[in-house]
Amino acid sequence: MSFIKKFIEQETINRRNLLLASAYGLSGAAALRMFGAGAAHAAVENPTIAWSYRDRTNPYWNYIVYGGEAFVESLGLPKSALVNLINEGSSEKSLADVKALLAKDGNKVALAIDANDAPNCRPVVEAVAAAGAHVSTIWNKTDDLHPWDFGDNYVSHMTWSDEGPAEQTARILFDAMGKKGGVVHLGGIASNNPAVERLNGLKNALKDYPDIQLLDAQPADWDTQKANQIMASFLTRYGDEIKGVHCANDTIAYGVLEALRAEGIEGMPVVSYDGNERAVELVAKGEILATVFTNPYWGGGITAALAYYATIGAFKPSDEPHEHREFYGPTILITPKDALDFKAKYLDTNPTYDWKDFWGPSNGPIQYKS
Amino acid sequence: MLTQDNLQKWAPLLVLVVLVVFFTAVNPNFLSIRNFARIAIASTPALMIAVGVTFVILMGSIDLSMEGSVAVCAVLFATFFAALGGSLAGPGLLAVPATLLVGAVFGAINGLVHVKLRIPSFMASLSMGFVGIGLSLLITGGDRILVEDPLFRSLLTVRLGGFPLMTYVAIVALLAGWFIQNHTTIGRNFYAVGGGEDLAHASGLNVNKVRVICFLIAGVFYALGAMLAVAQIGIAETVTGRNLMFVSITSVVVGGTALWGGSGGVWNTLIGVLIVNVIGNGMVVIGLPSYVQDGVLGLLVITAVYLSTDRRSLSFVK
Repeated sequence: MSFIKKFIEQETINRRNLLLASAYGLSGAAALRMFGAGAAHAAVENPTIAWSYRDRTNPYWNYIVYGGEAFVESLGLPKSALVNLINEGSSEKSLADVKALLAKDGNKVALAIDANDAPNCRPVVEAVAAAGAHVSTIWNKTDDLHPWDFGDNYVSHMTWSDEGPAEQTARILFDAMGKKGGVVHLGGIASNNPAVERLNGLKNALKDYPDIQLLDAQPADWDTQKANQIMASFLTRYGDEIKGVHCANDTIAYGVLEALRAEGIEGMPVVSYDGNERAVELVAKGEILATVFTNPYWGGGITAALAYYATIGAFKPSDEPHEHREFYGPTILITPKDALDFKAKYLDTNPTYDWKDFWGPSNGPIQYKS
Repeated sequence: MLTQDNLQKWAPLLVLVVLVVFFTAVNPNFLSIRNFARIAIASTPALMIAVGVTFVILMGSIDLSMEGSVAVCAVLFATFFAALGGSLAGPGLLAVPATLLVGAVFGAINGLVHVKLRIPSFMASLSMGFVGIGLSLLITGGDRILVEDPLFRSLLTVRLGGFPLMTYVAIVALLAGWFIQNHTTIGRNFYAVGGGEDLAHASGLNVNKVRVICFLIAGVFYALGAMLAVAQIGIAETVTGRNLMFVSITSVVVGGTALWGGSGGVWNTLIGVLIVNVIGNGMVVIGLPSYVQDGVLGLLVITAVYLSTDRRSLSFVK
């Protein structure tokens, strides 16, 4: 049971850091006010590197953390040097954790964070800027919040545009269906941005395929069990009319495939999103026709790296153009013919990345819809 | 005779029949063996969990640990199964009794925490549920474990009379639940404790012992539900039990088992599970927009509970 021991040791260290942070809180904050302001933008050595994210029950966030750990190891530090702040889906906890860390280490914090929801990003960034620390964010941010409005302290924001890749998977699906027949979509939590974008991608592709009909689209909440039951109900409602299935992510696709397997339906075209290892294996076997990889491993590492190198003064964020401060992360389309190559390159062993190549794999500046 | 008592007794079944007729009228596809098999597959794991918690509710207690218990059982089952060769045809079969044992131990701890530490069952079981989620996360590190043995998956893929094998496993377990409830001393003691704990205690019944055994039996059913949930999608993970707390408690209550204990039973629970799953399936089949589905489910549950429980005997509802 060594993994339990290891886990407890790690958690003890994390917990201890956080407790110290809280205890140290008031005095630290006071000291900062006296001496901190003038030195806020000066280079800092050996900052605390922290990742704040939702939970560890999801392969996506696990890969984010593996990437963050790989980055701290590239600095010659142990994995445990990465402070994990887990918000468990609570924006309040997310902000409270960040404030506790800032109270302890002041401007010596290099923070990578997904702020859990868009409105929470602003208070997080403001708290970091007030302490003179540095933060890089991913996914959740309101459109009116920009890194360049905070000098050097808000280093960067990375997100992923899902509409284009979801449209590509839809086109692959429609072609496999012979460009005609009914399609159903099983989506994520209805209010989640990626869920909306992935359905929009499908709808965009539909415009070019007049003989394809979108029979139904229901939210499956990123959940395998729920997707399984909805797919079963779709089969009752539409029966043989269903010629293809468009899924908002891999965990939904697993539920769909099992619903089809239960009915003995084989060869139904299914496409998916996220590029989890299991899904890539299914793509290689042809059970899923396409999925999209967003490289959370690289995302986890590079987001921490951006915050870290800005903190130690290796580069000055405010000297960088806007497209280096708000940009899209990489998306890689995986189809049966390249699935095995992809798996060997990205999943079987994590590639060694140059964590100073901040923008190489990125995907252009963020476009806002007015 | 159509007395009020009779009506209340049969109300859950009546609700089920009305729902089936209604959904069939809107979309005739609803009334088909294939669709009933789909509903059965969705209902099977939930039925096991609901039968387990029925016993606890009969005693007037509540058990909210099922999501954690199912997570631990599912993940340990998959781990044992893989370690023992990964096939039901070989030593992998031993994973089944081992998992039932895990469920029993988890349930017994749950009961002991409730009885020995004198913590209300609501809080004790809820906390044990969190412990279970944490434990399964520790074991898996957040990853999923696949169970691909064709023999094990035949629970889903092989059909007899139109229904997959897992349905028959669930029916056998349901009969076992009915046997425990009606034909064993411990089963009758559940009713005694739920109907009037003071009286049961005064008659010399070791109420604490009954409680611990009850949680233990519930745990065995959760373990069974966990294995059927794994059979259903071939994946064991920390979120295997997600949503089962709501579905199972709702099913028990909709089926007409009183939350204050002493009346109801496993047949009520069967009807309750079917009502909840027929609603879930039917709403998609008739094409109800997704944003009204949750609201409709809530209203239908209130209606079913209103029709099926006798509140005349209650001086107040808490």
